[in-house]
Amino acid sequence: MRRVPTGERPDWREIARKNGFVFHTLDGAPYWDESHAYAFTLDEIEEDIEAPSGELHALCLDFAARAVEDERILASLCIPESAWDAVRGSWRRGDASLYGRLDLSYDGTGPAKLLEYNADTPTALYETGVFQWLWLEELLRDGRLPAGSDQYNAIHERLIARFREIGAGTLTAFAAEADAPEDRGTVTYLQDCALQAGHATRFLDLSEIGLKPDGRFCAPDEASIDLLFKLYPWEWAFSDAFAKGVAGSPTRFLEPPWKAILSNKGVLPHLWAQEPGHPNLLPAFFEDDPQAASLGASYVRKPVFSREGSNIEIVREGTVLAHEPGPYGGEGYIRQALAELPSFDDRRRPLIGSWIVGDAPAGLCVREGRGAITGNDALFVPHYIEPAA
Amino acid sequence: MKRSQTVSLVLLAGAGAAAFGLASVDHSQDEEDVRVYADPSACIAAHLRSEADCRSEYEIARALYPTAAPRYPSTTDCEAHHGSGHCVAGESVAEAARGKFIPVMAGYVIGATTEQKLPPQPVFDHAPKDETHQASHSTGFHSGYCTGSGARIWTTGYGRSSAARVSSAALRGSSFGGFGSSGRSFSSHSSSSHGFFGG
Repeated sequence: MRRVPTGERPDWREIARKNGFVFHTLDGAPYWDESHAYAFTLDEIEEDIEAPSGELHALCLDFAARAVEDERILASLCIPESAWDAVRGSWRRGDASLYGRLDLSYDGTGPAKLLEYNADTPTALYETGVFQWLWLEELLRDGRLPAGSDQYNAIHERLIARFREIGAGTLTAFAAEADAPEDRGTVTYLQDCALQAGHATRFLDLSEIGLKPDGRFCAPDEASIDLLFKLYPWEWAFSDAFAKGVAGSPTRFLEPPWKAILSNKGVLPHLWAQEPGHPNLLPAFFEDDPQAASLGASYVRKPVFSREGSNIEIVREGTVLAHEPGPYGGEGYIRQALAELPSFDDRRRPLIGSWIVGDAPAGLCVREGRGAITGNDALFVPHYIEPAA
Repeated sequence: MKRSQTVSLVLLAGAGAAAFGLASVDHSQDEEDVRVYADPSACIAAHLRSEADCRSEYEIARALYPTAAPRYPSTTDCEAHHGSGHCVAGESVAEAARGKFIPVMAGYVIGATTEQKLPPQPVFDHAPKDETHQASHSTGFHSGYCTGSGARIWTTGYGRSSAARVSSAALRGSSFGGFGSSGRSFSSHSSSSHGFFGG
């Protein structure tokens, strides 16, 4: 794994515009950064990232199977009792999942360590599956990368294949906060994939979702929705007025309610208890567990619910090294052993996002944060696989 | 090969800058062109709506304020959403809000044209503490406004201009809307226009 200066394509902004990638710069700050890239060997990709990701996801499924049958586990994950039927029902029916992103700390040497699993509402998908892919193709075409370079990125094909597997009903709706460019972009991309897989699709603002007397969720014109993708975390949906309509509804959700079990920092101590010493897991404990003391004076403190790095605290030798403010933490905290992100240029630290589509690993993205905690100001940096020497 | 053989886009390809904006939807159905004014004189000075409209719409919004304003259990909670010094004791506005804390009315939102028949509403400063903190580190930041039901309004020109486009359903108080409110009460953490509910 190397950080390689590649230089920007002079016309990348125009290419982005033509391909609908409008959130490459947000609030005047860059998000897409192709001045450099990360280079991996095929072994690093296949042995250190792809295979462990498949294994981690499988462990997560084993855990979900146990969790739905154990009320103590559901309670420990702060899933409200009122939502248990929806969670259990979706798992027992075998409701399909679409995608998720495992966030890994990896520097090219030791085993990748799972920091957390965004199993419910991950973004950075379009830029991984499409724009990063285009970048590789163009650099190969122009001889700016060694011939034979590849990329670990079957996201686009796998998403379309997954939508085919899930199957199309009369209407597949895609809902997000319409005014947020990154969320809107991610959802429009998924809608594009579903369309190519034969689904009849519509985009809805979250506020436009309705619930009919027959229990089906619907569009503003009361068209029933068979499959509803929502870029909106279950932990919030479970507190909303429509939460009570989920368990008994014929409408199926992407992600399904059982993903709430995995997109939760509480899964980390449970996975560690399930597979202590697993090379890709970090020791983790609920904060009120006496065993948390075994982590010593260096650890990461994470709220059970949080996203984009909010409310995460890194403690090294008893000193708070980094702290990201935010609104989370009301449901309690976990502590995880500290696996600091590597630094290749002294300023930015890469975080590997390893994508799961369906139940199989499908590609990766690298986001570079400015500090020890990767927040929503991280830069998206493309990657490639170096040809065998 | 570890990458896709082909990447094809149907909705996005060639659609240009608007693709992720609003290409696949009919603007008139989904969004309202609105203005946010601090008071009737700001509205009148803009010469967009008539002087009579500016005043009457303000009166409607002002009358809605005591019931439309969100309630918070403490001044700390209220200021965490609306900014320091932007909250008052509920009883100073409405007896029903006694013991609660509510944001001051920052202005009102009205349609850009009479024909929109958009009911005017009071708006509140959306200035969460975390964002204000972030603002000192980044230029081009603004928080904008929110309505009593939690719809956020980002006006252009870093928040100082009055013009905005807002989802129609969010402003018209559709009877739908059973998803999103819990998230919106948390959305104040979003320090930029990156992810709102994703991450």
